Parts: sequence; C-alpha cells; structure tokens
Amino acid sequence: MKDSLVLLGRVQAHPDSRCWFLAWNPAGTLLASCGGDRRIRIWGTEGDSWVCKSVLSEGHQRTVRKVAWSPCGNYLASASFDATTCIWKKNQDDFECVTTLEGHENEVKSVAWAPSGNLLATCSRDKSVWVWEVDEEDEYECVSVLNSHTQDVKHVVWHPSQELLASASYDDTVKLYREEEDDWVCFATLEGHESTVWSLAFDPTGQRLASCSDDRTVRIWRQYLPGNEQGVACSGSDPSWKCICTLSGFHSRTIYDVAWCQLTGALATACGDDAIRVFEEDPSSDPQQPTFSLTAHLHQAHSQDVNCVAWNPKEPGLLASCSDDGEVAFWKYQRPEGP
Amino acid sequence: MKCEHCTRKKGEFHKLADAKIFLSDCLACDSCVTAEEGAQLSQQNAKDFFRVLNLSKKCDTSEHKVLVVSVCPQSLPYFAAKLNLSVTDASRRLCGFLKSLGVHYVFDMAIAADFSILESQKEFVRRYHQHSDEQRALPMLTSACPGWVRYAERVLGHPVTPHLCTAKSPQQVMGSLVKDYFATQQNLPPEKIFHAIVAPCYDKKLEALQEGFATALPGTRGTDCVLTSGEIAQMMEQSDLSVKDAAVDTLFGDVQEEVVRRHEGAGSDGHLAHVFRHAAKELFNEHVEEITYCSLRNKDFQEVTLEKNGEVLLRFAAAYGFRNVQNLVLKLRKGKFPYHFVEVLACPGGCLNGRGQAQTKDGHTDKSLLRQMEGIYADIPVRPPESSAHVQELYQEWLEGTDSLRAQETLHTSYQSPERCTASLDMKW
Repeated sequence: MKDSLVLLGRVQAHPDSRCWFLAWNPAGTLLASCGGDRRIRIWGTEGDSWVCKSVLSEGHQRTVRKVAWSPCGNYLASASFDATTCIWKKNQDDFECVTTLEGHENEVKSVAWAPSGNLLATCSRDKSVWVWEVDEEDEYECVSVLNSHTQDVKHVVWHPSQELLASASYDDTVKLYREEEDDWVCFATLEGHESTVWSLAFDPTGQRLASCSDDRTVRIWRQYLPGNEQGVACSGSDPSWKCICTLSGFHSRTIYDVAWCQLTGALATACGDDAIRVFEEDPSSDPQQPTFSLTAHLHQAHSQDVNCVAWNPKEPGLLASCSDDGEVAFWKYQRPEGP
Repeated sequence: MKCEHCTRKKGEFHKLADAKIFLSDCLACDSCVTAEEGAQLSQQNAKDFFRVLNLSKKCDTSEHKVLVVSVCPQSLPYFAAKLNLSVTDASRRLCGFLKSLGVHYVFDMAIAADFSILESQKEFVRRYHQHSDEQRALPMLTSACPGWVRYAERVLGHPVTPHLCTAKSPQQVMGSLVKDYFATQQNLPPEKIFHAIVAPCYDKKLEALQEGFATALPGTRGTDCVLTSGEIAQMMEQSDLSVKDAAVDTLFGDVQEEVVRRHEGAGSDGHLAHVFRHAAKELFNEHVEEITYCSLRNKDFQEVTLEKNGEVLLRFAAAYGFRNVQNLVLKLRKGKFPYHFVEVLACPGGCLNGRGQAQTKDGHTDKSLLRQMEGIYADIPVRPPESSAHVQELYQEWLEGTDSLRAQETLHTSYQSPERCTASLDMKW
C-alpha cells in the first residue's frame, strides 16, 4: 500500500490562505481551485509541471468556497461566502463574469451543474437549496427554493444521468429532490450519520451515493426502485435509498470530502487528519452488502486539513487534493497488486 | 417559514414556530423580524382577544372598549368551506359568533380594498405619464402584501423600493376607516376602539405592528390585533355558545343586507385586474372585456397584455411566492424589466393559500381545501371599486375630495430604504 499513491507535484495555489475546493474541467485538461483569498485559479500542464493559466479575481468579496464546471466546459460557476454565485464564461484563457446570482441570505456553500447543462443548484448556510434554470441566451431564473433542511447546507450534487439532486447538511442528513409539476420537491431523507454531512459523490452508474461526515465515517447508500427484487419498501413511485455499507474506523478526524472515480470506481477521501485515503470495492462482495478495502493511506498528504479530493475525469488514477495550507497536490494512484 | 421542524439551536424564529406563528418565506431571514416584534406578534392571539372582550364586560367602565372586527375577503371562503355554507351564510354565521362573544361591530373589508385599488389605479396612470421623464416611475409593484413589502424594505432596499405603489394596503385603509372615520361618526376617541382583523395569514400581524397612523392621535394603531382565519375557526370549535346568525355592519351605522362581493382576480385583493382595466381605458381608450392570464415559467407567474394592431401597449404580471419574487428582482437588477406593473404576493397560490388558513398541522398546503376555497371565491360576484356609491360618499365626506391633500395623506404611505446589512465575520465554515 505504500507506493499506491505517489506525489507528482505541489503548487502554492492560494498564498496565505486556505484552498477550499478543486474541480477538473470535463476534458480533464484544466483544474480550477478556489480559496480564502477570494480568488479562483485555473491550472494547466506545461510539460511536467502545473502552472497557473488564469486568475479570476474580480468576482467575489469574500472566500470562494466551491467551483464547478458546466458539462460543456465553457462555463465555471463559483459559490462564495459573500452570498453570491458567479457564472464565468471561458474565452480561451480568459474568463468573464457574465452573471451574478443573488438571493441567498448568507454564505453560499456549494454549486453544481446538472448533466443536462440547463440546471444549476446552489445551497447555503441559510438552510435552503435553490434550483436555477439557464436558457440559450445565458439568462438565469430561479425555478425553486427548497427549505427542507433544518440547518446549514454544505454540499449539493446532481445525479450523473437523472434529473435528481442530493444535498448534505449540518443537520446530519442527506436529502434527495426531484421535479414535480412546476416545482421541485424533497422525496427522501437519508438518516444515519451522527454529525454534519460534509460532502457527497455518486458512483459512475448513479445507483449508489457516498456521503462523508464529521462522524468520521463514509456511508454508501443504494437506490431501490419500486418493485425491486430485494423487497425493499418504496413509497409510491419514488425510489428508496438504503445505507448498504459504512466505512468506520479508518479516519481519525472529520472527513471533509469524498470523490468517486467515474473511470475506475475508486473512492478517495479528504480528512481533517491531513491524510488522503483510497478505498476500492472488493470484487467478490455482495452488491447489496458490499465491502470496501483501504488501498491507499497517505499520512501528511498536506501539512493541514485536506479539504478536497478530485479524480481527473479522463486520466485514470490522476488525483488532485487541496488543503488549509493553501496548497494543491497532484497524485498518481495505482491500485496495489499482489495477494 | 423555514424552521418549523428544527430541534437544535433555538433562535428567534424557533420561538415564533413554537408559538405557531408561520410567516411567509419572504420574512424568514433575521433582518425582517426583530426580537421585540417577535414578542409582540406572539401576543396577537385568541387569549389577548378574549382578555379585551372580558375587560369590556367588567364593572370598570374605563377599561371598556368598543370592539370592532373587520374580515378580509380571502378569509370568507375558508369559513364557507369549513362550515359547509354559502359565503353569505358563512359571513352571517361568523358575524353572529363574534357578536355572541361581545364584539359590537363586524365589518367587511371590501370597501377598504376599493380605496386601495382606486388609489393604485390613479397612481399607475400618473407613473405611466411620468416615465418619459423619470425612469424609476415604472415598473409599479403592488404593496398590499406585508410579507413582500417588508422583504423589499429590509432586504432588497434601494433598487426596489421606489417602485412600490404608495397606495396603502386594504388593511391599513381599514385601520384609518375604523379609527378615524367611524370613530368620529360614533363620537368616540380612537383609543376607545379595539380593532381586530380576521386575515388569511400571519404576515398581517406584523403589518398591524408597524403601521403608523398619520391623521389621528399618535400612539394609536389602525389595527390592534390580527387573528388568522384558523385561529377564529378554532375559537368557534371550542365555543359552546349558541350562535344567532347576524348580518355584517356598515361604516354608516346600518347593516348590509346585500350578498358578499369581491374584486376581480383569483385570491389577491384584485389590484392587477382593476388597474389593468383602468389603465387600458385611461391611457388607450380601450375597453377590456375579459382578462386573459398566461402562465409563464410556473403557475404562480402570470402575464396579462393589452395588444392593439400587433403592438403591445401594456404588459402586466402577477408574481406569487418567493422564487418568483427572486426572478423579479433578478430582472430589475439587470435593467431588463419587461413589465409595466406587477402584482406581488409572498404566498404561492395567492392569499387563499395564506398560512393562517390553508396549512395542515405539518406545515403543508391542504390542496383539496385550497381548491375548494378557490372555487368558492370564483363564484362570488364581482363589484368594481368605481361602482361603489359609498366609496364616493366617503371621499367627499371624510377626505374632502378624491384629489385632496387629506386623501393623499390618509390613503398613501412611504417606504424605508435602510442600508443593506452585510455580515463582516469571516468564520471557518
């Protein structure tokens, strides 16, 4: 397990501040990072090293907490503590802020694009999740304001293929939403975590959802459709989501992020104990009760809390991570061979 | 309201939720309701109402008040549905019940809405003419909904407040009618009257608190207490008094024997429909027969246009609910606002869906009740404000004319634009 995660390089992405989040563009050629210095940086390769291609600095008045690329790769959305979400349009190496979405009462914690490219979701410390629609003329409209959570909402993520939205909150739950008539509704609440749920990731098929928490566990939830073979009860025509696996005892502090590789199925975690871990599903395990093994554990991946891990969408095994120490690191993960 | 299910971290709003006070989503942020207001809101309830009723029955006549209750038009369909009566019979039953408790006068608020609409009509035409010189004259946004108005004043501030119609809401006009006109007619000092309003929502309780009272003595509010339709219904259920149906009173000292009437529109006070008709006539000499509403993005966002020879002369909209309020604001900020006039309400589905009447115990809309109320409301005959002889009389008798200074002072208000509050702490979130 020792050499399964190898360091490729580090960059000081956000000097004297935290680096909060990373996002690879759909082509896998660029990495966006954002941080406490209120800036967004775009990184690309030049030979063997990673260099800063652009700095987006005039967008936000406070920390930028998350960034997300549109499915087409031409737009970048940024969520900030200044209560706004900026939409940037890419023009080669330049980015221009084309819209600022306002309305949340306070810090926006996350932003995510739906795979269709027409919908955007944001969530905030004001406990709400908003769904926005964008039209052909880059005009945005608020479609729904969802007030299901009872505390700060930390993260939102879209299902890879269905128009289904998931949110994670300080209220210890994960909630799932879908469209109903001209509005969105919460159709499921996933309970089980014993503390704040910080992040979420769907597996490549969208059948399963991973959540990570301040309770130091990762939980895997599985979707059961009405009429499923396993006899899991469903209410009406909505699917049920059940917790089928809990990874506990591996992390010694809060787990801030979880990332599910869409190419290999490997699961990476970012932890407050400064380490990065990778898990893989045991191929012989029962799909209804899978087991995951720890295949990489890198202590001191950073000198402070690891806030985010992100798998490159095109290059298997390429992982990026960032930390409170302001650095971004690049890693090569190789599944360990052997008996 | 955002926090009715919360179990941890009790903040100000949780206290309101515990007291079963459910404000609209527009009022859900900390800027909108102060702790003091929260405490005062909690006092507007059945208990307080009974306290005043009881005081008026005791020996100490100095504590006696003349008890007046005004009923919002959107509350009547609720009582009709709950009591399984026609709207007119429900109105008589409600009036009879209130009088059996000791209330002296029960009024219908349609007359107050008449004033509010007539003033809004004149204001829109004035703003339309001013627009060529003064950009901010249009669009005009209605201000009858207290949830929307407070959100606009406290959160949105300056880009929005100049667009708010200055005509007072029906509730505020009713306050003036009762404590000024009626008090004078009855030879009573205003503080001798206790004025309660039956309303479909809790936001109106907040409106009663903040509304100043320009013309008469300071220290007197137009409305002393707002009770929701649900709170009254609960009082009716818990009471074992025998009730004799009674006709509502009028401000002129007699009783109203005619059937209940409403203004045009589906559960709002009717500003959009009546301002549209008036503007079409005044500005373009067009007589509008039937108004066609076109649903846009969702059923709570509707558009009404006046077209002639392929040209759009007037473009009005109705925007209900928080998400549509957000979209309006987005358009205003961008400077790409396509409407001359927007009727804005905080509650999706309009006033009939107010949280004081259409909500189930767990905070969701009772859809079948709402549909029933919509049907009942639609069947009530419409009477345009222009055709009310009583209103014209009042303009002359009470306000010294339709365009007098007194009319302007009594029937119009102004809005505050405080600085936007920005959080300055940079905590680790």
